[in-house]
Amino acid sequence: MDEARHMSKSIIVAQGISKTFTNKRGSTKVIENINLEVRENEFLCLVGPGQCGKTTAVNVLSGLEPASTGTVKINGKTITRPGPDRGFVFQSTALYPWLTVMGNVEYGPKVRGIKKSERREKAQYYINLVGLEGFEHSYPNQLSGGMQQRVGIARAYCNEPVVLFMDQPFGALDAQTRYLMQEEIIRIWETAKRTIVFVTNNIEEAIYLADRIVLLTNTPTQIKKEYKIDFPRPRDYTDPDFLALREEITNEMDKTL
Amino acid sequence: MIDNTRRSRKHGARAAVISIFVFLLIWQAATTFTSLGILMPSPLISLSAFFKSFIVPIGPYPIFIHIYWSLVRVVPFYIVGAIAGIILGITMGWYKPVAAIFRPIFEILRPIPPIAWIPIAIVWFGIGEGSKWFLIFLAAFMNVTINSFAGARSTDPVLVGCSKMLGASDWQIFTTVVLPGSVPYIFAGLQVALSSSWATIVAAEMIRSSEGVGWIIISSQETNNSVNTLVGVVAIGIVGFILAVIMREVEAVLVKWTKRDI
Amino acid sequence: MDNPKVKVINLTKKFGDLLVLDDVSFEVAEKEFMCVVGPTGCGKTTFLNSLTKLYLPTSGEILVNGEPVDMKKNNISYIFQEQSTMPWLTVEENVGFGLAIKGVDAKAKREAVDEVLEIVGLNDYRKYYPNELSASMLQRVVIARAFATKPELLLMDEPYGQLDIELRFKLEDELIKLWQRTQTTVLFITHNIEEAVYLSEKILVLTNKPTKIKKIIDNHLPRPRNVVDPEFIKLRNEVTELIKWW
Repeated sequence: MDEARHMSKSIIVAQGISKTFTNKRGSTKVIENINLEVRENEFLCLVGPGQCGKTTAVNVLSGLEPASTGTVKINGKTITRPGPDRGFVFQSTALYPWLTVMGNVEYGPKVRGIKKSERREKAQYYINLVGLEGFEHSYPNQLSGGMQQRVGIARAYCNEPVVLFMDQPFGALDAQTRYLMQEEIIRIWETAKRTIVFVTNNIEEAIYLADRIVLLTNTPTQIKKEYKIDFPRPRDYTDPDFLALREEITNEMDKTL
Repeated sequence: MIDNTRRSRKHGARAAVISIFVFLLIWQAATTFTSLGILMPSPLISLSAFFKSFIVPIGPYPIFIHIYWSLVRVVPFYIVGAIAGIILGITMGWYKPVAAIFRPIFEILRPIPPIAWIPIAIVWFGIGEGSKWFLIFLAAFMNVTINSFAGARSTDPVLVGCSKMLGASDWQIFTTVVLPGSVPYIFAGLQVALSSSWATIVAAEMIRSSEGVGWIIISSQETNNSVNTLVGVVAIGIVGFILAVIMREVEAVLVKWTKRDI
Repeated sequence: MDNPKVKVINLTKKFGDLLVLDDVSFEVAEKEFMCVVGPTGCGKTTFLNSLTKLYLPTSGEILVNGEPVDMKKNNISYIFQEQSTMPWLTVEENVGFGLAIKGVDAKAKREAVDEVLEIVGLNDYRKYYPNELSASMLQRVVIARAFATKPELLLMDEPYGQLDIELRFKLEDELIKLWQRTQTTVLFITHNIEEAVYLSEKILVLTNKPTKIKKIIDNHLPRPRNVVDPEFIKLRNEVTELIKWW
């Protein structure tokens, strides 16, 4: 297993990325010198305390925001702006409220000029994959929070990107729906393997999902520690090893006030 | 949920009927039992005069012809003003250079009431229909522009980022995110603008005219016919209300996605 | 139980023909910490709103101290997930707000405020305004405010739903401390089973709609509790089995 992982190539290579925000009151360094490699088809979780620069980190890694310094390469190509070779799942779901589920999922292929029959077929495949068959014509506000996030995942997948970035996608869900969605995202990922960079503040969620956890510090955010997670899937939240690791990471994580 | 909204709508309708009825009752009482009756006709007299005016002409025409003439002035130029307002408002809200050029001028023109434009309108467009159309256009344009502007300004930056990530071009972002996202605001503007354009008819028909509901009010004022003044007022009120209801229905059909129906 | 603090008898709620709360009966003892858990969408909000008489029950009774509950007479406090503090008041003024309304004299108020601020660790922040505090500190202010009035019954609706684990653990420990010190009767609603097992003396497990009581479980695990303790895990799994739908 480990051997195989070393063999697989790095999809994301981030070198020395920092991000500073400047406003009237001065400048704030939000992330500082992050170096990170993510391998093909790896499920990587970025975990950090409350208000640390997790979101900024994933925004910069995905090209949603430019880095102040440093470079991010995806498949060897330097990233400077958003692009359809990357998928993004937002915490706020960011669905287009005026489009149906189908309209949302096929949005990417549509704006890229893919013809209707082809993009419909593709969208239908991913709608089925996330378990929303029968809801193609519903509007987002007719769906529950968990279902909305399924749409977000299908939409990101539908462009068939190389990498998927997910910024705390289950943050607004209740604990039980969250467990369901964690099982679901693993099922989806195992069916349609992609490289996933998943941001969360929930250590339990990270241990359940990840091949590797990268623990971030408080701002200015740096990498504090990495954990390789080798527990077989499906994982058990109450397994003693699982709980022990959860405690270890909890203690290691920077404190928030 | 559905049951609740239906029930609350029924409650709302009942409350509206009661409130109008009570208002008429107070008006009737005030004109019957106080000296106000000398200055102002009672609602019974006014409403019966209103209904009578469908048969008995006021001036040259019965009331519905007056209403028709006023609508002919208002509706087309309301639409022209609204379209111009949507275009200017949205582009001003989304493209910063456009805002930099037009916004200062717009902000200075905005507080000027329609009536103040009359002399200028007459100079520019004469005392024919042109100056009336101009006033109505202005009323629609101002309200729609400011709301469309607010709509485009309030575009969710996360949705914009999302569209970029999915591969949308700047123009596609404008047409698929900014425009649809502004629709609820635009409709709010269209609604206000419709009332405001319709209300402007009085000012517009102050400029020489020989028909229309505004003309009824102005000519009856000149002849001290307070019953006819009220007939004009009632006509404006009722037609304005019907226009607003039509507009709301149009919005309900076009903007399905803001409704929650589970 | 001879004198339960709260006694709910055959509580039933219908919306039209739709039965949402079906013949619910339970008791909460004085000074007890009861957690209510149920599957997502099980009608916890209706349950809570019926308890607080925000919804008039279709049938059944709610007794506090053996008498029908009276929101004006009984001192019942709530803490919800969305917290609100008065932005124009400092931390200590916010915490003392409930007492000030009740006309408690200045000295008693200060003592009560001092005590709870000490427990939640906000002593150094007493002169701060809400906009100068982090979300978790605001949460503490709200909780301190609720406890400061020494309510007869404190209803908490998933107050820690969106917090990081580390912070949640910390706030849960503070909550237990506050509860032990002030001897308040607490009814705590949550989706999080681990949280329920960690906090409660008793767990009320609800069914899906129409909401009924599935089971009432006594939780005698010794405190301080340890989430990796096998007994703890056993109870957590037992409750999970009762409500698992995912």
